[in-house]
Amino acid sequence: MKSAVGINESGVSAKERWGKVITKRGTLAGMILILLVLGILSPQFFAISNLLEILKQGSILTMVALSQTIVLVAGGFDLSAGAVVHFVSNLSAGMISGGQHVTVVLFMGILIGCVAGVLNAVLVNQFKIPPFVATLGVMFVLAGITLAYNQGKAIPLKGYPEFTYLGQGYVGPIPFIVIVVMAMMLAMHLHLKRTAAGLRMYAAGQNPQAARIRGISTSKSLFAAFVIGGLILGLTGVFHASYNYGSSAVASGLDFLISALAAAFLGSTFSKTGELSVIGTTCAGMFIAALSNGLIINGVSNTAMSGILGSILVISVILSVLHKREIGQVTIF
Amino acid sequence: MSRSATATELAASPSGTRLGILRDYGSLIGMGLVLIVFAIVKSEFMVFQNILGVLTQSTILIVLSLAMLMVMSVRAVDLSAAQVADAASIIAAASLIHDLPVWAAYLLPVAFGLIVGAVNGALMSYLGVPAIIGTLGMMFVIRSLELIYTNGGQPQILFTLPRGVTEPFLYLGQGNLAAKLPFLLVFAVIVSVAAFLLRERSVLGRRMDAINGNVRTSFLAGVQIKKVFASAFVISGVLAAIAGIVITSRTGIAVPRGSESYLLEGFVAIYLGTLASKTNRMNVVGTLIGALFVSFLNNWLTLMGIGAEYKNILSGCFILIAIAIGALRQPKS
Repeated sequence: MKSAVGINESGVSAKERWGKVITKRGTLAGMILILLVLGILSPQFFAISNLLEILKQGSILTMVALSQTIVLVAGGFDLSAGAVVHFVSNLSAGMISGGQHVTVVLFMGILIGCVAGVLNAVLVNQFKIPPFVATLGVMFVLAGITLAYNQGKAIPLKGYPEFTYLGQGYVGPIPFIVIVVMAMMLAMHLHLKRTAAGLRMYAAGQNPQAARIRGISTSKSLFAAFVIGGLILGLTGVFHASYNYGSSAVASGLDFLISALAAAFLGSTFSKTGELSVIGTTCAGMFIAALSNGLIINGVSNTAMSGILGSILVISVILSVLHKREIGQVTIF
Repeated sequence: MSRSATATELAASPSGTRLGILRDYGSLIGMGLVLIVFAIVKSEFMVFQNILGVLTQSTILIVLSLAMLMVMSVRAVDLSAAQVADAASIIAAASLIHDLPVWAAYLLPVAFGLIVGAVNGALMSYLGVPAIIGTLGMMFVIRSLELIYTNGGQPQILFTLPRGVTEPFLYLGQGNLAAKLPFLLVFAVIVSVAAFLLRERSVLGRRMDAINGNVRTSFLAGVQIKKVFASAFVISGVLAAIAGIVITSRTGIAVPRGSESYLLEGFVAIYLGTLASKTNRMNVVGTLIGALFVSFLNNWLTLMGIGAEYKNILSGCFILIAIAIGALRQPKS
C-alpha cells in the first residue's frame, strides 16, 4: 500500500511530468525493479531453467486471465471462471483414470467450457440477469456438480505420460504448455485487434450505448466473448489436471479468479489509456508467477502470498484509475 | 436493477387485482410453499425447538447480509465482508485469550471493522477503484493477515479459559432472557430495526437510493456522492465485524477462514430479498426474509443428511430463478 500512496503524492506535486510518467509507465518500471531486487537477493532466480519454470508455473493462471480478459473486453464479467476450471479438471482426471484417450478428454473440456459460456451468455442476454449474478449462480451450480462428482476426494493420476505431457512435457527446452499459451495469446491478439468482430467487442464493452447506435449488436459480442472465454477455460481445466498430475478436492476457484483479475487489470496499466489487452494480460500473468516464484525462493511463507497478491491487485488498479476521478461503482449488476 | 427504484415508483405500481398480487408476492408465496413441503417431508423440521434454533443461528447471516446490502444499495459490492467477520471473530477470541477486559473483546473487532470499512471507502470512493476489485484485494489481504497471526489457521479456542472470564462475552451468543428466550434473537431484532431505519427511513438512506439511481443526477442535486458512497463501506465494515463477534460468542471458538461461506449465502439472501419488493429493489425486509429462507434451507438439508454438493446446486438455482423471475416481471417502461 505504501508505494501507492507515494506515487499518488508525487503525481499531485509534479503533475505535468512525473505524475504522467509514473502512472503510464510506472507499472512496467515497478515490475522490473521488483524482479531485479528478487534476483539480486537470490541469484538462482535468473537462471534460464528457473525462468522457463516460471513461464510454466504461470501458464494456467495466464490462461484463466486470458479468458477473463476477453469477457471483460466485451463488457461482461465471469465469476464462474474458477469453478469451470475446477470442474473440467476433476472430470478430465476422472476420465483419464477411467481409460479415456487424451483427445476425447480435450474435446470434453472444450465442449463443457463452451456450454458454460453459452449458459452464462444466455442468462445475461436472454434473461437479462446482470453478469455478476448470473455467473455467481453458475459458479454455485458448477461447484455443487464438482462436489457431487468427486465426492470431496482428490483424483491423483499416476503413470499417464501421454496426458501429463500436456502440462509437464517439453519441446526441446521449452515447456509445451508455454507454447500453447503463446499460441492462444497470439490468436486472441489477432482476433481482438485485427478483426472487425474483435474491435466490435472493444466497442461494446467500452461504450455499449454508442456501440448500439453505430449498429453493433452488443449482446452478440458478449455472447461470442463468453463462448470464447468458456472454450479457453475448458482447455485450461484439462491442462490443470495434467499439470498437477490429477485434480484436487479443494475448490480453489476464488483464488484463481483473483489472480486472473489481477493479471487482467495489471495488464491494462501497460497501455496509455488503461485498455485491456491480451498481451498485457499475458505479461502480467507471467509477472505474478515470477513474483510468487521469487518470493518463495527468498523464503516468504505461503500464508503471506495471497495478501501480497491482493495488494498488488489493488495498487495496480489504483495506478490505472487514478486519473479518472470517479467513484468505484460496479455497473455489472 | 438497472434502473432507479424509489418510493414514488413503489406507489405507482398497480397491484389491486388478484393477478397483480400474485405477480407481486408470488415468489414469497413460493418460498413459503417450499418450506411447507420441507416440513411435510421431514417432520422434525417444524418442531418449535428446531425453529427457535434456526432463528437464533440465522442472526449471523442476517447481520452479514445487512452489511453487504448497505454497499450493494449504492451499486457497489463488498467481497471482503465475510472476511472482516472472520477476522473480527478471531480478534474477539484473541483479546479474551490475551486477558483483555470483556469490553475490549466487543470493541476491538468493531474498531477493526471500522478501519477496514474506512480504507475500503477511501479506496473505492476517493481513489475510484472498482469495488469488486478493491474489496477482493482487501479480502485476500485480511485472509493473509489472519493466517499469519494464527500460524497458518490454528483455531482460537475459548473453552480452556476460566468460565468467569468468558461468561460475560458468551452471553451475547448463548445467554437466555426470561422464559428461555435467546438473547441473540433480541439482538437480531435490534440490529435489523436499526438497519431498517438507517437504510429506509434516514436521510443517508435516501441519498443512497439517489446514488443507486443515477450518480450524475444526484451529484447535480447536491448529494455528496463520495461521502455517501464511502459511508456505505464503513457501515458495512462495522456490521460485518458485529457478525464476527456473534460467531465467536455463539460457538466459543474462532476458526480462521471458517465464515467465508457466509459471503455467498449473503448474496443469495440479498437477491432472494429483491423478490419481496415490487420493483426488484434490494431492501432490508426482503434481505431478512432471504436470510431466514437460506437458514431454514440449510437446516433442512442438514436434517435430511444432504451434503454440500446439493446445497451449492440449490443455492445457485435459487439465485438464478429469483433474478430471472425479477427480470421477467419488470414493468414495461
